[in-house]
Amino acid sequence: MPLENFGSILNFAEEMEKQDLAFYSAVAGNPACSEHRKMFEQFAADANKNIKNVQRTRRENVTEMILEPISGFTREPFCEECSEAETMSLEDALATAHRLVDRAERYYTEAATKIKALPEVSRAFKSICKKHKAQREQLVAL
Amino acid sequence: MSLPLMKNYINGDWMESDSTTIGDVWNPAKGEKIAQVAYGTAADVDKAVKAAKEAYWDWRTTPPLTRARYLFRLKDAFEENFEEIASVLTTEQGKCIDEARGEVRRMIENVEHATGVTTLMCGYTLEDIAKDIDCMGHPQPMGVFAAIVPYNFPGMVAWWFLPYAIVCGNTFILKPSEQVPMTQTKIFEIMDEVGFPEGVVNMVHGARDVVNGFLDHPDIAGISFVGSTPTAKYIYQRCGETGKRVQALGGAKNIVAVMPDADLDAGMPSLITSYYGCSGQRCLSGAILAAVGDAADEIVEKFRIAAQSVKVGDGLNEQTTMGPVVSEAHKKRVLGYIEKGIEEGADLILDGRDCKVDGYPNGYFIGPCIFDNVKPDMTIAREEIFGPVVSVVRCKDLDDVIDLINTRGFGNAACIYTSSGATAREFKYRVLPSMIGINIGIAAPMSFFPFGGAGNSMFGDIKAHGQEIFKFFTDTKVVIQRWF
Repeated sequence: MPLENFGSILNFAEEMEKQDLAFYSAVAGNPACSEHRKMFEQFAADANKNIKNVQRTRRENVTEMILEPISGFTREPFCEECSEAETMSLEDALATAHRLVDRAERYYTEAATKIKALPEVSRAFKSICKKHKAQREQLVAL
Repeated sequence: MSLPLMKNYINGDWMESDSTTIGDVWNPAKGEKIAQVAYGTAADVDKAVKAAKEAYWDWRTTPPLTRARYLFRLKDAFEENFEEIASVLTTEQGKCIDEARGEVRRMIENVEHATGVTTLMCGYTLEDIAKDIDCMGHPQPMGVFAAIVPYNFPGMVAWWFLPYAIVCGNTFILKPSEQVPMTQTKIFEIMDEVGFPEGVVNMVHGARDVVNGFLDHPDIAGISFVGSTPTAKYIYQRCGETGKRVQALGGAKNIVAVMPDADLDAGMPSLITSYYGCSGQRCLSGAILAAVGDAADEIVEKFRIAAQSVKVGDGLNEQTTMGPVVSEAHKKRVLGYIEKGIEEGADLILDGRDCKVDGYPNGYFIGPCIFDNVKPDMTIAREEIFGPVVSVVRCKDLDDVIDLINTRGFGNAACIYTSSGATAREFKYRVLPSMIGINIGIAAPMSFFPFGGAGNSMFGDIKAHGQEIFKFFTDTKVVIQRWF
């Protein structure tokens, strides 16, 4: 499905962060993942903050007029499955977390370029991307 | 299933109208009834005016900063309910969800601007106008104001007036469009939560009887109106007869000129939004595309190709770039203009009449339409269509464009796409309309600049929002003083 307008790009970002929030909240409560419970709780809190940031960015920067077209951007490369988080092994949970931060970094990097006609949105995406990058570094350091 | 009935909001209470005339509210994407609204009466207006008059003195003596604090709270409440307001707006009006979000944003921007009352409402003084005599001008609120607003922007337009009126110390009555009463009902529910003093803000639903109720009422100090030109003229005349202040914004026939030196690729997205945004139901929509000089063929062809990529559908679908028109009656009206264009000899080079949207067989959809070779005296080049229909008039040069613009009678907006600063300057200097876009297809002033046209597009002296609006909602009392 194409992501070719302001609303769809911001909505997909919100969808991704909500998926992250659900996943990290679930693995934080999964006994098999208790070794890294604090980290997962932190990631869930980050996702919650990111959701608010995306929502605020959408509210404050929406414009009636399309100044620059957005093309060649779709949801599919950024869709991830992360079901059964409550029961998965720690190894699977960490692998999924790696996939989620990787897709977030890719998405926000590309979206920030695509939506550069709205600098505040681009800036917000870059800032959220940075947070995901920090999460990746945390995962790599384990 | 019974449909919700929109109620009036008077003196801090929700109440049903005495009227027995009930109208339907429709979802234009589905062609389904979603609510009902009573067409209020002069008696409903009188109740609201009494409440507003009763509330006036307490509110007028409330310090401006305290009044502004209600607006700060309201802004926060609007932010919290942002998506819900946008969604109700799209459901009853049809426009795309991003357009609805943009409208809610602009509504909030007016609240933000109005909070500057402690600067923007200040008066002025001059010492020693004569020996030992000082003079001061105090802007003072005037009493009860009312506004009558249209269907195309169910959220925003009321907010070109309401926050300024009340922050200046007046009390206020709103009549939303009877076609789209749900958005303001949602907004007034939020205002009710914010807790304005009873009677400061009131809402009466309805149509002609409410309008005449406002016009006839001796206790209403002034009226703000946005709608069609004939009604704007009527409101202006009636307010003159009854000694009310008035600002009446009417219709438009906006021309967007594309010069041969325009950067078409860079400008095309905003050009397309100008004509097809809100399905052309915008007083700032482009209506005529003035394609200039030798490049006209290329301009028209590129525009036609871009117009074909407009995605028509339910505004709540994020992929949609153009929603339906507001009603079945309006769809018929727009289709009537298309027939007229064909009859009068214009070439319909993009025909959106038979537009079908999967899953929405009863929606009031019209696809993008383009007429080429339209002559300035044809009906479709003179009258406001208010739909996704573009009339291409081929012009030989800038003088030809300016002549076309200045002979439409309307004077709302005009835009030009060009790479030449000299051409742009000449254009903005000589054209009659008072909202000008240069390489911008919709010349929509933000809340801190005035909104309103010239000619038959505006009756009255003070436009909507901007700094000037504080003058509309106040009277400057001049005090000349001497102490012995």
